[in-house]
Amino acid sequence: MPQQFEQPQSQSQETHEDEALAQSATQAADQSQDQSDVLDSILDDIESTLETNAEEYVNSFVQKGGE
Amino acid sequence: MPQLRDSGTRALHATEPVPSAEMDGFCRIFGVETEYGVAVTGAEKPVDAGQVAMTMFQPIVSRSRSTNTYLTNGSRLYLDVGSHPEYATAEARDPREALAQDLAGEQVMRGLALKAQTKLRESYGAHATIHVFKNNVDSAGHAFGCHENYLVRRFVPLEAVEHQLLPFLITRQLYTGAGRMTPDGFQITQRADFLDEAVSSATTRSRPMVNTRDEPHADPDSFRRLHVIIGDSNRSQWSTWMKLAVTHLVLCVIEEAFRRGEPSGFEDWAFVDPAAANRAVSRFLDAPDAVLPLASGESVSALALQRRYFRAVESFVADHREAMDAAFAAGVPATGLSEKTVETTGEGLSGMTAGAGLASDYSAGSLTTVILGEWDRALRALEQGDYDALADRVDWAAKRRVFEALRRRRPEVTFAQLEQLELDYHDIANGRLYGSLTARSQMRRLLTADETERAIHEAPQDTRAALRGRFVEAALASGAQFSADWTHLTVTAPERREAVLLDPFEAAPTPEFSQLMESLGR
Repeated sequence: MPQQFEQPQSQSQETHEDEALAQSATQAADQSQDQSDVLDSILDDIESTLETNAEEYVNSFVQKGGE
Repeated sequence: MPQLRDSGTRALHATEPVPSAEMDGFCRIFGVETEYGVAVTGAEKPVDAGQVAMTMFQPIVSRSRSTNTYLTNGSRLYLDVGSHPEYATAEARDPREALAQDLAGEQVMRGLALKAQTKLRESYGAHATIHVFKNNVDSAGHAFGCHENYLVRRFVPLEAVEHQLLPFLITRQLYTGAGRMTPDGFQITQRADFLDEAVSSATTRSRPMVNTRDEPHADPDSFRRLHVIIGDSNRSQWSTWMKLAVTHLVLCVIEEAFRRGEPSGFEDWAFVDPAAANRAVSRFLDAPDAVLPLASGESVSALALQRRYFRAVESFVADHREAMDAAFAAGVPATGLSEKTVETTGEGLSGMTAGAGLASDYSAGSLTTVILGEWDRALRALEQGDYDALADRVDWAAKRRVFEALRRRRPEVTFAQLEQLELDYHDIANGRLYGSLTARSQMRRLLTADETERAIHEAPQDTRAALRGRFVEAALASGAQFSADWTHLTVTAPERREAVLLDPFEAAPTPEFSQLMESLGR
């Protein structure tokens, strides 16, 4: 079972969790470069969306009624 | 709503009393109704969105002679007032099944939109693009909804829902809100500024948070249907699953309290002003620690109140885990969806490896534990102010993270561009942002594409929906004219025949249903 979904109730689990979080913090530092690369790729993916006329796009969406 | 009857009326009840076998225990029926918004860009001449919605529904009209129909997966597809395409999921016993049905709805809408787009381009040019937004607000401030339905045992009075559940529903948006760019800044919900009454019997006239119009679509002596209006439409699979799952747990506590005639512990948590609390929660990022006055005289932050609900539910689960897990396992699904695993992709909060998921707990039958664990971690990330830790599962956090990255790259980015990007996130037909996030494993998926595909055609096999799905399939195959609602299946021609299915938990054919199917050659 992935520890991700254990219940952090007991003391021992709590410690286990803290260690996992600490470990994840180190990993996070290593991953921050990867993460910003991924974000860059995502921004590249949506670049073409931003090139269209934003105001016109937004204002085209007017809906009546509902609920 | 043409040709729809009001189910669960007293008249029906007088002739068809059906005692439910599911009054004890924690079984529940879940349903999600989603209204979609429609817009067109890139057309060479002005085009009316209402017209486009009608074009989308042309295949439905030629099939069912109506813009209101049921599908072979047991779900309802229709065109609501104001040209909102709407999809209501078939009855599910399990939040994951409801999620599968909701995602199937997205795919159905997408298919209709792309077909209509091909047609539209013949007259409006090759760049005409149909956008179908699974969101809750348009550019003019019209709000529309995503409504959750929960079958709740009748012995829970409505006042209890208002006083004990509403504070939970308002604060739950901390991890289920879809987020919205507003002129006043980024809010974590879509609609807080548009909801003003806590509980009401109407939805279109005013904007209540919980609707009390009593149509249980089940034995009215046993059940009421709780119609929750306050939730946002979610793209995040985790959020759709989570809002149903956690709300279910809180309802279990309230139901058990009334069943035993004991206090639930939620009695003193009602807000003095629910609408004001709702608006404050939506502005969580501006003031995470802002305290909200309770009717008891105490003041507490939204996050602290969520933590209180969590602790109360956690201790309740400790005493009732087996019965609660059994409620999810009560149905015996016959399809591939029966493998009760929830797979996730992407990194977890504590460095979980990609691909690992909720699977082991869920298949071991301890779904309740899984839900609690996810709930706790979401609250913990919020308590630590680590919002990016939620960016792979909470819509508002995902948007916020992308917006901030975009602002770093393009400091000149305009408000309109951010608004556009946010709409694009909700566009299930031609949007790019959400697809990019999932493709790059930055957003969790709980279901595989195959599972969603199956849910487009197959109803949940452990509820009444299974019978409805078989009926619709047989009626379409035989070319018979038919109509349906949640409790009735009717062949209207050549000879009128009808079956009433009053128990949503019952998936076994009744004699009446079998006769109806025989008349269709099955």
